[in-house]
Amino acid sequence: MRAALPGVMALAGPACTARDNDASFSVLTDDDAIEFAAIADRILPTTDTPGAREAGVIHFIDQAFAGLMQDLYAQSVSDLATFQAGVGEAFPGKTRFSELNDAQQDRYLEAQDASSFFQLLHRMTIYGFFGMQSYGGNRDQVGWQLLGFEPRHAWQAPFGHYDDPALQGEPGGD
Amino acid sequence: MTLHCRESPVATDDQTSFDNDEAVDFAIVGSGSAGGIVAKELSTAGFKVVVLEQGPFRRAQDFSHDEIAVSRYRELLGGTQEAHGQTFRGDDSERAVRATWPVAEYAQTVGGSSVHFTANFWRLREIDFRERSVLGPVSGTNFTDWPISYEELEPYYSRVDWEIGVSGAPGPFDSFRSRPFPVPPMPVKSSGVLLETGAQKIGLHPQPAPLAILSKPLNGRAPCVNCGYCMGYGCEVGAKSSTLAAMIPLAQASGNCEIRADCAVFKVDTGADNRVHGVHYYDPAGRERLQKASAVILCANGAETTRLLLMSANNAYPDGLANSSGFVGRNLMFNGHSMAHGVFEHPLNEFKGVQVTRIVHDFYESDPARGFYGGGGIDARPLDAMGPISFAMSGHRPDTKDWGAEYKEMLAHDFTRRLTVLGSTTSLAMDSNNITLDPVSTDRWGRPAIRLTYRDHPDDLSMARFLQDRAMEILDAAGAEIAWRDPVHAQNGGAHLLGTCRMGDDPATSVVDKYHRSHDIPNLFICDGSSMVTSGRGQPTMTIMAMAFRAAEHIAAAAHKNAI
Repeated sequence: MRAALPGVMALAGPACTARDNDASFSVLTDDDAIEFAAIADRILPTTDTPGAREAGVIHFIDQAFAGLMQDLYAQSVSDLATFQAGVGEAFPGKTRFSELNDAQQDRYLEAQDASSFFQLLHRMTIYGFFGMQSYGGNRDQVGWQLLGFEPRHAWQAPFGHYDDPALQGEPGGD
Repeated sequence: MTLHCRESPVATDDQTSFDNDEAVDFAIVGSGSAGGIVAKELSTAGFKVVVLEQGPFRRAQDFSHDEIAVSRYRELLGGTQEAHGQTFRGDDSERAVRATWPVAEYAQTVGGSSVHFTANFWRLREIDFRERSVLGPVSGTNFTDWPISYEELEPYYSRVDWEIGVSGAPGPFDSFRSRPFPVPPMPVKSSGVLLETGAQKIGLHPQPAPLAILSKPLNGRAPCVNCGYCMGYGCEVGAKSSTLAAMIPLAQASGNCEIRADCAVFKVDTGADNRVHGVHYYDPAGRERLQKASAVILCANGAETTRLLLMSANNAYPDGLANSSGFVGRNLMFNGHSMAHGVFEHPLNEFKGVQVTRIVHDFYESDPARGFYGGGGIDARPLDAMGPISFAMSGHRPDTKDWGAEYKEMLAHDFTRRLTVLGSTTSLAMDSNNITLDPVSTDRWGRPAIRLTYRDHPDDLSMARFLQDRAMEILDAAGAEIAWRDPVHAQNGGAHLLGTCRMGDDPATSVVDKYHRSHDIPNLFICDGSSMVTSGRGQPTMTIMAMAFRAAEHIAAAAHKNAI
């Protein structure tokens, strides 16, 4: 059985320590981590709000490949090698995705965003950005803050604009 | 808050236990919406009961808001596709494919799917029970009347209201009720206000949604705290009226009921005397065991009950136990669904509170003027916008890429501003929609996997599209800034598993009689979604629970008269 409170879980794991200290990885090599992180950074880029980089998504990816999704790790490393080989073909003189500028990276990803490799990284980026912090990502809850989501365990009406009688100028609700 | 009522017991490890070799009065397979009620009713009436539940015994404190574990890794459903092995095909000319999603979706946990369900709780109406007589036949289907009426079931609907716990208020089209709702509707959300506004503008009659969620304390249970994690999640405060919260504790407190969790039944034990003598199951260590019982009650849901009967075939019943009619597994009905989504100017914050607070039942009855059979109901809810991951994975607008800066901006803008208007409809009973044993695939216990063969009747799809057209009108009238619809097409899975062991008076065209007793085997009973003759308009759990109270009463009466 599992602990029920996310706050408690968030304090528990070594995953969180790694994320918060930008410490080294459990399974990823430093080189692969740079590439996986570069892909995640284009899926949820840093704009005027934090992106995958600030959320520490790469630490989620590392922890997931070490546990939850370990059965996908070997294939993903192999797929990454294929992915990198394609970089050189598309952009002569380049050997790594992380060497490309933002526009080049987007162009390269657009050509293969239906691939199972991209789909997996897409899924992992979202889990790492929006998932509970105990999984290693969502540093400082930046993912939840982006959406306006608050991880509370109890709410009271009014919940939103349209069910708030004070904002409607007339009695509402029950 | 002051609770002026007694404390109710909670589910516990400290319970009666029975010997496998000493026949109990009843072995019940499944602890969900039906099994939990039947177990409570029979054990508190003094009968010795063992409940076999294939999932673990989770309690309120074991539930969480963890989207990755619960929503993506299907913690409550027994795990990913490798665990269940279910397969799906549209018709029997196709090879069934192993599904990546549980195509027959149900929880594996004590309390069954009443633990993870959304808790919409619609009663059937008088018309549902005699629709075939009123409307006439639909060719190519097994559309027929129920052997019971609304009047016969109504007292049990009221028992569900009060003993399980239902919040709500009467609506303009509801059938009669003998008692009022025990607790008032949940506080209306922005989705409810917008549905109400839009529906009224186009001349419809929205009403508060009846929900199996407590708005006030009832029977010693605490009310909902509006945490937002109803759909697909277990309730951390026990306010959702699952059998885990409302019935299992009472069954255990009777001293006559043992809940045996992590035990997967694979065969009903039969004898040469045309009676059943117990159930064979895998215990938590994977060992084969036999629990002896004077009678067996299957409450495992429309998919699992069917599989168990088919796996229990013997010389007397080569096509599956209790299946002389050939109707075991046939007439599977999912209810149809359609979705329209809208984004509004101001935040709705749909991640707070229950999923549904208002519904529209103006189109409940079939109308020959539409040109097809069918009826349904409309609600408004967050759906994907209840959780950050579910929204990011599937909540984005259809015309946006699902990665990059624009996508991120869309998520940030829409998450608090989006709602979904959902249509739920009838499904017609047909031979071609059914559950059989997969010849190849197996589940994690090695049992043959559940194979679903299903394609919605054209009328079912027409009704879903009809409700979607109304949903788009409602969204427009409510002032949505943008609105779009998901294409309606044949479904490839369902959480409502109805009709596969239907009740009826004629043993040639039904599996159980009107009291849920097998036509073929006198001490075998079946009560769950499989008993339903027609699908209703969605939200079948209220009816499954009412049937369970009624079945238990008749089973207990027969047992007292030594007539089982």
